[in-house]
Amino acid sequence: MKTWMKAAATASAMAAGVVFAAPALAQDGSIYIPNLSYRTGPFAATGTPLMNGQRDYITLLNERDGGLNGAKLVYDECETGYNTEKGVECYEKTKANAVVTQPWSTGITLQVLPKSNVDEIPILAPGYGFSAMADGKVFQWAYNPPSSYWDGASMILNHISDNDLSSLSGKKIALLHLDHPYGKEPIPLFEKLAGEHGFTFLPIPVGLTEMQNQAAQWLQIRRERPDYVIMWGWGAMNAGALTEAAKTKYPMDQFLGIWWSGHDGDLKLIGDQGKGYRSISWSVPNSESSLMQDIKTHVVDAGKSQINQAEGEFDSVFYQRGIMISVILVEGIRAAQEEFDTQTPNAEQVRWGLENIKLDEARLKELGAEGMLVPFSTSCADHTGHGGGWMLEWDGSKFVKVSDIIQPDRSAIEPLEEEKAKEYAEANAPWPVNEECEM
Amino acid sequence: MLYRTAGQFKISYKADHALFPVRQDAYLLGFVLLLAFVVFPLTASEFTFRALLIPVLIYSLAALGLNILTGYAGQLSLGTGAFMGVGAYACYKLLTIFPEMNIVIAIAMSGFFSAAVGVLFGLPSLRIKGFYLAIATLAAQFFLVWLFQKWAWLYNYNASGAIQVPNIDMFGITVAGPRATAMTQYYFVLGVVSVITLFAINITRGRIGRMWKAVRDMDIAAELVGINLMRAKLTAFFVSSYIVGVSGALFVFLWRGAAEANLFDIPLSFRVLFIAIIGGLGSILGNYLGAILIVALPVIVSTVPATFGIPIDSAMVEHLNVMIVGALIITFLIVEPHGLARFWAVIREKLILWPFPH
Repeated sequence: MKTWMKAAATASAMAAGVVFAAPALAQDGSIYIPNLSYRTGPFAATGTPLMNGQRDYITLLNERDGGLNGAKLVYDECETGYNTEKGVECYEKTKANAVVTQPWSTGITLQVLPKSNVDEIPILAPGYGFSAMADGKVFQWAYNPPSSYWDGASMILNHISDNDLSSLSGKKIALLHLDHPYGKEPIPLFEKLAGEHGFTFLPIPVGLTEMQNQAAQWLQIRRERPDYVIMWGWGAMNAGALTEAAKTKYPMDQFLGIWWSGHDGDLKLIGDQGKGYRSISWSVPNSESSLMQDIKTHVVDAGKSQINQAEGEFDSVFYQRGIMISVILVEGIRAAQEEFDTQTPNAEQVRWGLENIKLDEARLKELGAEGMLVPFSTSCADHTGHGGGWMLEWDGSKFVKVSDIIQPDRSAIEPLEEEKAKEYAEANAPWPVNEECEM
Repeated sequence: MLYRTAGQFKISYKADHALFPVRQDAYLLGFVLLLAFVVFPLTASEFTFRALLIPVLIYSLAALGLNILTGYAGQLSLGTGAFMGVGAYACYKLLTIFPEMNIVIAIAMSGFFSAAVGVLFGLPSLRIKGFYLAIATLAAQFFLVWLFQKWAWLYNYNASGAIQVPNIDMFGITVAGPRATAMTQYYFVLGVVSVITLFAINITRGRIGRMWKAVRDMDIAAELVGINLMRAKLTAFFVSSYIVGVSGALFVFLWRGAAEANLFDIPLSFRVLFIAIIGGLGSILGNYLGAILIVALPVIVSTVPATFGIPIDSAMVEHLNVMIVGALIITFLIVEPHGLARFWAVIREKLILWPFPH
């Protein structure tokens, strides 16, 4: 008993020491990039390839170029399991030296967004988070390039209506969405456009507990017979919806998804039956590009990657999208390095950098990633860039690009963005806005 | 030696019924309070406040609420998460409808909403017991979370369906919202938790607490000696849900900053129930010990590899963490099936008798 207690006392003292000690400082001459990853939990299947991609691009820069302009990039993951409670913990744990926060979940983004003004760390949420973050004057510290969810919704509608939304009049469009802040995000825009263009909008929520068994939702779809089903799904929900659609023989050419619902692994489950399923995307995989070939030589073949090569993860949409996300981030850091003439920009300088990203076609070509990412640029007023996206279609074994770049209907989205950004700033008063920005 | 009670004579009934019949207990509590009120705030980093101290206190409070119902009055409940949600949404609505309201009053009032809902869902307890009652409270769990999602008025028609905490000042200091400092929030939570704990200790020692215990141990016998079962059970639901509701309001306003409906889903109920069970049903101290084990330990374990420079992936750390904490829970329950509070009681007993074995 006594030795046991002694051991317990020592252990708890040690643990307390660990916690109260200041977090280890990053080495000099390096840039600390934390990532609130999720390789565990119900969303691990979709999270893992994205995290692998993000990690591998940073590894490539460190291996091939010795870092970014001489500064070593320290990539660090903190596991959240998509759990908002872990999100707070990870944010607090990593924020001390961080130049950026990558919250990786709309729920966690909502939690850290109000803190961004106080802690002064930029939030990078590529293709997710709160759509109104596009308004850079209000959301000085938050970025969601290259396209927001509202952009995505508008692009899908433009695609199915051949850029003439009035042709949707009288049709019925169902939104099969995760009943979570993420899934509810596009609803205001759909409702607005439905009112303006005379189509019926039908939101069908899928609760977190019923992701894998969507029999009730698909029964409703069969009864309502919508002309299109648009999916805002994530993790296990995508696979659940696709298998249910295949089972009920819902025509796949009327079934479309947002970029997070275009995961190769989910579609491989149904293979040929999924032929014709489309997903909007701001990134396209191209394993032959010089960037991907470099990653293959320096990272994957060198045994420094965590990807599952047997499953063909290297060629998948999500892995290569993860790489593009790191490309966007590094471009922001590089801009900050050049503007402030420093190797290791701080969080505030990176904020400026993210506001001045210019990823045009020429720059993408220079990086060896031509055609893998929609070209876009950000500014102090526009934190999204609104690069648009391509439509990808599942051909039975992989996703192929079936359209040119589709642009969102910005004139319909902008007033909504402005309204919601204003609402947010008012609800969180005092909320400082960027008054220097004159665009 | 440390706990020798020799020489501490009780010469009046009052002394015999004192809160601390053994003087050393008071010293120990004083030491813990000194740690909590002075030492931790002086030494803790923001991470420690936000990831360890504040959540442990809030979860302890939720478990305390549940423990009153389950541990003292013997009514099994699986709806704790939803009752926390009622507290949180009530507090949110109060503060958005009356922005000038003091947050302490809003939190105190939000407990009453939760208490009312708790009593409502406690009504079946008058006819059903044990596992059957657990199922009835499970219905409350599912119904309330569904309501939080569907009733858009509750979250002010927010597009993402989430509630967000605005900046709230009290006497010129920001206590809630993004601008509040971690230390202010810690003291706020600590204050509320201390007051409620004192209340809970006294209510469970007194007439009402004894009534609950009688009902728990054998309700027919309790009825025969003249205890009104309806009143006993419903007061237990009322007090328990009140505390749980307050903890829910603190959970969102003083810690999370934002919440969506499924945060209050069944995993939260189970988490609080596990804290209460592992800490020890029918004890106040147990809630704190349980919360330390379930809430704080995983956070501490996950920081260990990084501190010692062991290169393990964060996902692997998470997997190991689940295994280690799970193994510890099983070990503790094998060593002492009645929970950590009982474990401490055994240690204390031995210390009082030490160096004699019996």
